[in-house]
Formats: sequence, C-alpha cells, structure tokens
Amino acid sequence: MSMSKQEFLSSAGLEIQTLELWLEQRWLIPRETTAGMHFSERDMARANLILELKSDFGVNDEGVDVILHLMDQLHGMRGALAELQEHIRGKPA
Amino acid sequence: MNNPYEVLGVEQSAPPAEIQKAYRKLAKKLHPDLNPGNKAAEEKFKEVASAYDLLSDAEKRKRFDNGEIDASGAERPQHQYYRDFATADDGHPYTTSSGYADFMDSDDAFAELLRRHRRAAANRRGEDLHFRLAIDFAESITGADKRLALPVGGTLDVKIPPGIVDGQTLRLKGKGAPGTGTGGPGDALIEVEVLPDPRFARDGDNIVLELPISLSEAVLGGPVRVPTPTGDVAMSVPKGSNTGTTLRLKGKGAPRRGGGNGDELVKLKVVLPKSPDPELENFVSNWARGKAFNPREGMSS
Repeated sequence: MSMSKQEFLSSAGLEIQTLELWLEQRWLIPRETTAGMHFSERDMARANLILELKSDFGVNDEGVDVILHLMDQLHGMRGALAELQEHIRGKPA
Repeated sequence: MNNPYEVLGVEQSAPPAEIQKAYRKLAKKLHPDLNPGNKAAEEKFKEVASAYDLLSDAEKRKRFDNGEIDASGAERPQHQYYRDFATADDGHPYTTSSGYADFMDSDDAFAELLRRHRRAAANRRGEDLHFRLAIDFAESITGADKRLALPVGGTLDVKIPPGIVDGQTLRLKGKGAPGTGTGGPGDALIEVEVLPDPRFARDGDNIVLELPISLSEAVLGGPVRVPTPTGDVAMSVPKGSNTGTTLRLKGKGAPRRGGGNGDELVKLKVVLPKSPDPELENFVSNWARGKAFNPREGMSS
C-alpha cells in the first residue's frame, strides 16, 4: 500500500511546509517516482512517531534529529544481531 | 482500564503540568518505539497513553471527575508503531550500520558475519517504479502499444492488453530501478487510466451505447451506422423500435476471460426533429388511433 503526497498529508494531518522541512532533514525518505512521491506505511508510522515526540514528549527539532539518528542505528544493530542469532542457530541467512 | 490517576501515579488534584510531566516520564520508559525489543511495554504504554488522553483534555477530565464518564472507551485505537516496520528485511533507506561499523574492521568470525550482513544489504533488489499512463476508451478494448517517456530519460514500451479497465496496474518485470550488487532491478508498475468516451460506457465485458434515431427510423426501421471501439458498423433498426429498445452487436464488447468477447449493447433513443414540423403536427392531430393509445395505462392511481 502506498500513498501520494496529498493522501499522506491529510492522513498524517501535516502541513505541506512541515513535510517539506522533514524531507529536507531526511527524517522521511519516500520513494520518488514519475507520478510524484510515494509514501509507505513505514513512512506513515515514522511520521506518527515524530509527531508524538514533538507533541507528547516535548522534544524540539534538534532532539528529534538526534533521536531518529540513534533509533536508526539501533535498528541497524537489531538487524545485525538477528542475523548473528540465526547464524548461531546454524542457519545463516 | 484502571483509574487514570493511579495509572499515571498522580493525585486527583494534580495540575495539568504535573499530569503532563508524569505522562512524559512514564512514556519515555514505555513507548514501543523507544523500546523496540520490549514486547510487554506496548500494553503498558497503551494504558498510560489512554489515561493521559483522558486527563489531558480538560473537558473529559471534568466529566470523569464528576462521574459522567468512566475510563473505559477512552482506549487508544490500534496504533502502528515504527518499530513494526523498522526491521523489515526488504531493505529501506532509514536503517544504518554506523552504530556497529567499527566492529567490522577486525579479522575474527564475528566481524565476518557483520560484513556479510552488510553485503546482503548491499545486494538489494532495485525499487519498483510507479508510472501512470492514460489511454483512450477504444484502446482499452482493443489493446495498444504505448511508449512512455521517462523523466530520467529513455522510454519504456508498454503493451496494453485488450479489455483493461480503469485503474488496473500493469507490472513490467525488471523495468524498475537498478538494484545494488547482485540484487537485480525492481519492476515498473504502470497504473492505467482509461479516459472516458462520451459515447461508450463499460458494463463488465459489455459496452453500452445510446444511439439516437429519427422518428421515421423508429417507425419504419432501416439501416444505421453504429460506432464501436473498432470503427463504425452497419446495423438495421427493426420496424417499430422504441426509445429503450436494446439491440445487441455480438462480439463487439471487451475480451472475456477465457476467450471470446462481450457484446455492444445499443440502446435506441427516438429523437424528434429539432424544429417543429407543420406536416408532422398536422399528421398527428389527424391520427385518431395514436390518440386512443395510452402509454401510461396502469400508472394512474
């Protein structure tokens, strides 16, 4: 399932200017196609997290940047760790 | 749900700022995206978030304090967390190896495994590319060969199969973005838009067309030319045809799954001359049997 920019904006409740800023910071990296940008459910979940960090947690933009960067590293490590676990079990991926 | 004040660990008299502080403290520990490996955190977080939703809304909080509403029904709807997508193995642009890259530098088996993990990520299939293509109604029935100009340069030849419907997506294997390493290219996905034709409408495998005929063609019958997606064909209107009479042109519709074609259904519509005709008026006013015929018979109450 993927969404156009317009669908994404209304579904996430975002202003266009906010989205432009997030794209510029590379907080969101949608797929670029000839028919415009396509947003996945992953992009939507990520946008929801950013909104939550900002509104519920009181994190400012600088903080969001740091959190996302650490979180992306954490998920990279979780992926590597999962692979190690598979290997130890004797079925390397 | 339990008492929201107890869930957040605040007094019932706590000011909004204190409620927010209590929520943030708990949420930082429990938010599923800040605890990607903790399955139990999600349930607890849901409870905390629901309590906060209730107590952070002054109106709802007042009604809860007055006993007008209880805490149930305030549960947050099902929420999709980023962590559910973060470890998907189809590759995505967010995850990075910069958190463990230094471990890959040594010679041991552990480093080798990590390097292999990164190589696997490096041999990713290319992205699927999405395109849109508009075609004429007639082309949707007969099929067509189209050439799509790509914004990145180059073209893509697309074979439109006969009988395609509006919104259908064609997949061209291997015509998407190139992959990395041995990953191979993605596919091109082409969403086809069928432009409406004022003459035709599609009804499953059949095509419906409204054909205006003159009064004399309706009364006396006769040959007419009928447009179809493959060009005009001759058809004879039977004597005594009426508005709503439907004639069938066999095999002039869209291709059927499993062979053969649907039909074109030609709905006749009797149209009087544009300007009043004295001869016609004269004839009708002297036409006794015409006046005796009541087309609304059985309609009167």
